[in-house]
This record gives sequence, structure tokens and C-alpha cells, in this order.
Amino acid sequence: MWWKLLLFFWIAAFSAVGLVTPIAGSLTELSMIAQWSAEKAIPVKFRTAGEPVSAEDGGWVIRGTDKHGHDADFHFSAIPENAGTRDGYLATARYDTTAHRVEVVEVLGEYPGFSFPFIPGLEERAKIIFFHVPMAWMTVVAFLVSMWFGIQYLRKKDLEDDFRSVASAGLGLLFCVLATTTGSLWAKFNWGSFWNWDPRQTSIFVLLLVYGAYFALRSAVEIEEKKATLSAVYNIIAAATVPFFIFIMPRIMPGLHPGSADDNSAGPVVSSGGMDAIMRFVLYSMLGGFLVLYGWLMRIQGRLHRIKLKRAELAP
Amino acid sequence: MLKQAFAIFWKDLASELRTRYAINALLMFVVVTLAVIMFALVGETLSPGALTGMLWVVMFFAAMSGLSRSFVAEEERGTSMTLQLLATPTAIYLGKLLFNLLLVLALNIFIVLLFLLTMDQFTVAQIDLFWFVILLGSIGIASATTIIAAIIAKANTKGTLFPVLSFPVILPLLMAGISATKIAVEEPMWDTVWPDLQLLGSYIVVVITISFLLFEFVWKD
Repeated sequence: MWWKLLLFFWIAAFSAVGLVTPIAGSLTELSMIAQWSAEKAIPVKFRTAGEPVSAEDGGWVIRGTDKHGHDADFHFSAIPENAGTRDGYLATARYDTTAHRVEVVEVLGEYPGFSFPFIPGLEERAKIIFFHVPMAWMTVVAFLVSMWFGIQYLRKKDLEDDFRSVASAGLGLLFCVLATTTGSLWAKFNWGSFWNWDPRQTSIFVLLLVYGAYFALRSAVEIEEKKATLSAVYNIIAAATVPFFIFIMPRIMPGLHPGSADDNSAGPVVSSGGMDAIMRFVLYSMLGGFLVLYGWLMRIQGRLHRIKLKRAELAP
Repeated sequence: MLKQAFAIFWKDLASELRTRYAINALLMFVVVTLAVIMFALVGETLSPGALTGMLWVVMFFAAMSGLSRSFVAEEERGTSMTLQLLATPTAIYLGKLLFNLLLVLALNIFIVLLFLLTMDQFTVAQIDLFWFVILLGSIGIASATTIIAAIIAKANTKGTLFPVLSFPVILPLLMAGISATKIAVEEPMWDTVWPDLQLLGSYIVVVITISFLLFEFVWKD
């Protein structure tokens, strides 16, 4: 019992941390954004490095240091609350390229203890990584487990293994649908359309097809042993061709996901160091949480299965 | 074992030539499909790249309509038990694979020749690379569909299940094949087509190896 509560709080806590932690950039991103769009304001955080001074145009200027230690004058249109005693700000700001100064648009709060980096082009949408990536990983894990029990069934001909294989394939399909939906919704807002036939989208589409076909095959065979053998064989054949999609194609073909052939911003995988340490920690914690969640769901499926067997035994 | 495999290959070939069940159905299928495409394309100008996609669609569905025959026929005629007694599973798989390979190759050569003759807009920039890709694609289709056909022969709904089960497994082959054919048709460059050829080759090796390992489980009742 206790570990289920712990899991619940674990996932809830890291979801909250992932969603609530503010995104804050630095002066570097501020000047980068200014080259693309003059009007766009982005969140930045800085520590105050001097007293507020009134400017000629009626506003206020506070000297500030961003997280990389770079200094700049931050222009406020009105003096912020407790300006004299505050030691830092989280605020949306933009870089005025004509006047060459940083203008604070809106003060959001105090200097946050930790924050996620501002990634141009992703911004708040970067937070999907804590949910979408664990779902996609669980899909692959569930299908590998399903294939493993398929092999075990062929070796030992124990229907228990076949049941585990089916249960895992079912959970994999569930996670696959979740990852597809979240990814597709996200793509609408970041890439402009729900579906772009990016190599990874193709691969998840193929996974859906494979396991749709797997369950179609199972429903077409009546004898339990035959059903188990045929679906195990199909499972293994599918699992042998699916890596073409999941691990090879998204890497060698140009695409929109990180790690594609034409991607030079991040490394080939998330863990290569291209990612902020706090984000990576939250991501791995969520991955661990989802892994335990998958194990829990498998246990529930197992208990359901045993109840059904018992009922069939007791039935007249 | 090879002797057994060739015996099964000759048996399938002889029974096919006697009944001409698969051959007739396949020829009609190809002619009808091409006629539909030509009806739809009257007065249209399509790039050779777009026609490549259609060529592969015809090749894929032609394979889907005929290739399950070799195993389904054994079940329908009730001869699979006898075959189990007479030959080892490996020999049976090899024999059936050879027969399917011959069927797909003949079929695809026929489709491509017909395609080249009837579609004026379909011009191939590098003909030897083009035929090589068709050859690799045919071997791939034959190797993947043989084991799938063995699976569905044991299921209840044989006809509809075959394309459903085959499509996800064949898809890597289709994508690499279409991409390689497109390069051969439009602007042949060896360094761009090389990854696709590698993918086709490794796909064939993986699928045939895994089929050899798994066929016994499917075949034995």
C-alpha cells in the first residue's frame, strides 16, 4: 500500500515541479530574440546590483546581473514595489535595439531559486518533455517486455507468459495512444499542424499499426494455444522490424524532433548534456515514476487475470 | 534439406502452373489497377516521383492479393499435415520462400514493364539502379510476406488479416524502397541512395533470419 501512495505523491510532486517552475532566460537570450522580433518580451531573471535611479524619460533604471553574471541596466516604466530592498526580479523584458537598452515589461515576482532555461522557439512549451517523453519511453519498454514474454511463451509454452505478453502489449498501446495525442496536440502549437510526418511521428504511427494488427490477429484465432503461439511469433517479427523506425530512422533522416539528422542544437539523445541539470533531474524522476506506474498497472492486470480464471473455474 | 526445399518449390510451381489460380488472379489484379490509375490520370501531368509512389502501391497490393496463397492453399486442401510428416520445417519455409520469391519477381517485373509502357510520363534516369532497387524490394516483400502468410493460414479470417498484419512489418521496406526508387528515377546519386540500399539489405537479412527461427513454431500444430 505505502509504495502506491509514495508513487502517487512522487508523480504529483514532480508534475507540479515541472509545471510550476518558472522559465527564465538571461541577457544572451534577450539579445538573441531581439534580432528576430523587436516587440517580443521574454521572461528573464536578474539580481539587483545597485540602487534604483530615476531616468530622464520619467522611468526608473536598476542595475542588474543575470544568471551568467552579465550586467545591464534594466529600465522600468514605473518604480517597482519595494525597489530599494529587493535583491532580484523575475520579469518579462525585451531588448530595444534602437535605444540599446533592456526594457522591463512586467514584473512577475522575486528572483526564483531555480528555474528552467529559456529555449527560443520552445519557451513554456518545453515543459511537455516531462510527460511526453516518459510516455514514449514506456511505450517502448512495454513492447520490449511484451516481446520478452512472447519469447518466454515460445520456449516454455506456459499460458501465464502469454497473458503477461498481452497485458504488456495492451499497456504499451495505452501509453502509445497517450504519447501520440500529447505529441500531436503539442505539435499543433509548436510546429503549426497536428501531424507533419516527422520520422518520429511515423514511427509511433507504425507502433500503433503493429499492435492494432497484433490484437486483430488474436481475435481471429480461437484455440488458446494457437492464439498464443501465433501472436507471440508476430510480436517478435514486429519487434524485429520496429527498431528501424524507433532507433534508426529518426536519427538518419531530417526531422523536427531533437536528435534528427539535421539537428545540431542538442545531442543525439536527451542525456548528452545539452539539457539543463534541473530539467534533466525532473525528467528522470518522472521516467522513474512512470516505470513504477507501468509495473503497478501490470500487477493490476495480473490480479484481474487471476480473478477471471478463478471465476471460470467456479462457474458451473 | 536443400533437396527437400527444391522438391517443395517444384511441387508448388507445378501445382500453380496446373491450376494457374494465383497467376490469373494476379495478372487480372495488375491490369485492373493500372487501368484505374490510367483512367484517373487522363490529361493530368504527374512527376515521375509521384508515379513512383503509385508503382509501389500497385506492387504492394498485388503482393497482398496473391502471396498468401502458398500457405492458405495447404490448409484449404488439407495437405499441411502430410507436408509436416514429409519435410522439416526449415525445408518447407525455404521452399515456400523460393516459390514466393519467383512469384513476386515475375509479378514485379511484369508490373514495372507495363508501367513503363503505359505511362509516358514515367521516365527513369538511371535504369540499372532502378531495376536493382526493384529486385531488392521484391526479395524483401517475398521474405516478409512468407512468414506472415504462414501465420494467417492458421487464423480464421485469412483474406482480410493478411494486409493488416503485413503492412506494419513491410513499411520500413516500402519507405526505403520508395525513397531509393525516387532517387533512381529523378536524380541518381550514389551517396544519397546508399543509406536506402543498406536499409533494404539489412531488412532482408533480419526478416529472413527471424523467419527461419520462428517458422517452426507457426508450422507445427
